[in-house]
Amino acid sequence: MSETDPQAPQSFPPPTDTTRDPVLAGQTGQGGLFAPVQWGLGRLAWIGRLTRRQARFLLIMLGASWGVIFESFRAHSWRRTVRYEFVSTMNNIIRGGLVATMFAGVLTGLAAVSQVIYWLGLTGLATMTGSILINIVVREIAPILVGVLLLGRNGMLSTTELGLLSIGGEIRSMQAVGIDPFLLLVLPRTLAFTVAGFTLGILFSFASLVTGYVMSRMSGVINNPVWVFLDDVAAAMSGTDYVIIPLKFITVGFVVGLGGCLTGLTATSEDSLRTLLPRGFSRGMLIVMVVSVLFSLDL
Amino acid sequence: MDVYASGPLLELNKAVPSFDESGLPPVPFSMKLMPGDCMVIEARDIGHATMFADLCCGLVPLDDGSVRFMGLDWADLGDRELNALRGRIGRVTHRASWPEFVPVHLAIVLQQLHHTTRPIDVLVHDAARLAESFGLPGLPTQNPSFLPEEDLVRAGCVRAFLGRPHLLLLEDPLESGPAELSNSFLAAITEARDRGAGVIWLVRNNAVWQEYRQGITATWRLADDGLVAVRMG
Repeated sequence: MSETDPQAPQSFPPPTDTTRDPVLAGQTGQGGLFAPVQWGLGRLAWIGRLTRRQARFLLIMLGASWGVIFESFRAHSWRRTVRYEFVSTMNNIIRGGLVATMFAGVLTGLAAVSQVIYWLGLTGLATMTGSILINIVVREIAPILVGVLLLGRNGMLSTTELGLLSIGGEIRSMQAVGIDPFLLLVLPRTLAFTVAGFTLGILFSFASLVTGYVMSRMSGVINNPVWVFLDDVAAAMSGTDYVIIPLKFITVGFVVGLGGCLTGLTATSEDSLRTLLPRGFSRGMLIVMVVSVLFSLDL
Repeated sequence: MDVYASGPLLELNKAVPSFDESGLPPVPFSMKLMPGDCMVIEARDIGHATMFADLCCGLVPLDDGSVRFMGLDWADLGDRELNALRGRIGRVTHRASWPEFVPVHLAIVLQQLHHTTRPIDVLVHDAARLAESFGLPGLPTQNPSFLPEEDLVRAGCVRAFLGRPHLLLLEDPLESGPAELSNSFLAAITEARDRGAGVIWLVRNNAVWQEYRQGITATWRLADDGLVAVRMG
């Protein structure tokens, strides 16, 4: 019987995951009465595997967050190698990202702030300008954009570096001589991201507000001096804002740094840059959005 | 370095490595390494040699038995103690061990910077002296990818011998290194043994260690049924 014989009965593989494994496929063929039960168990196992895989990174993140916070308060953790890694990473992030962040702040000022001021002036709600700017630009837009910049510029770099170290075996070599990669790489980098998130977030907010003021002043919508404008903005901030806004910048930096490092560190020998980078980016974006939404909830 | 003289420096007592984690045969491994000893272990498989060195460092989980270093069982120690103890081991390994984003001179002194409080000037001075003895013109400051393979082997030796480690696990650098490395390598081993360090020299080729035949205290072969003693006739 040739393969092209039109009379030949066609046999379709059973619709289970075992179809790719001839041994398992042979076993399912003998199922008889138990076939539906086995199929159901197979489905359940698949759901369980999927759930565990999705929850795994979240659990790793939670555990590692606690680890970073706990270790950062122990003087013994701050060895000179850890201090060196912290300072060099922080310099890289802040110096390297300063221009990009300020530029993004200026663009946000041009696009968002000038529009807000213009439309509020047009509707006679100019007194709400400060409040709107704080709630929209500084509280909502700034953390997301700063988080995306951190992720793109440095978070992906950490993912790549640590991923290549994990895949190549250098991480194992470090462990063999007593160098804990969590202490040497994850702790200082995460804290450097945290400090940088706050610093760049404040600079971004300042740049966007000043640019918005300049644009509105030039278009004649407002005539107040800049300090009056900034005073309006400051007056519009509630006591909670003074806590929430810095906390949001800090948290975004923390989770972007930690997520990037952990994605790299949990890479396996089956991973490559083709799998690692998309995973790191999607996780990072998701983390930034989740943090932003969590802080925006009025609980 | 304080000389450890309270018994075997490294002791494998019927240690059965986890096959899933290491790929080593799951049979009992037993041996003792005293301070000042130099033991040659022939392992044809490079991967097995690396895993055996990992077993000595307490990195491989055991199904049974124990591995003790300086009288301490790896399995009884917490993370901090484990890492502190591993800081006393110098290794030359065939596994990738040069992070690409760290310049070689930093990678050489990294272990000492991490585990000790010795001033960096002293460390750099010692590293430069060792680098010259292994045939390098000084401490290489480039990134690893810009360094020839032979110089990386020399740098690996500098890193292993820096800081006067108590135990040296040397996956034969002579095999992939330049021929003129042999004398300085053997001299460094002798110097380390004289101050009380134990040396495990993992070789693939039997001919490599013949030059140092008189100095070897024991020879073993890493086989499918564990460590087999080899006669040095």
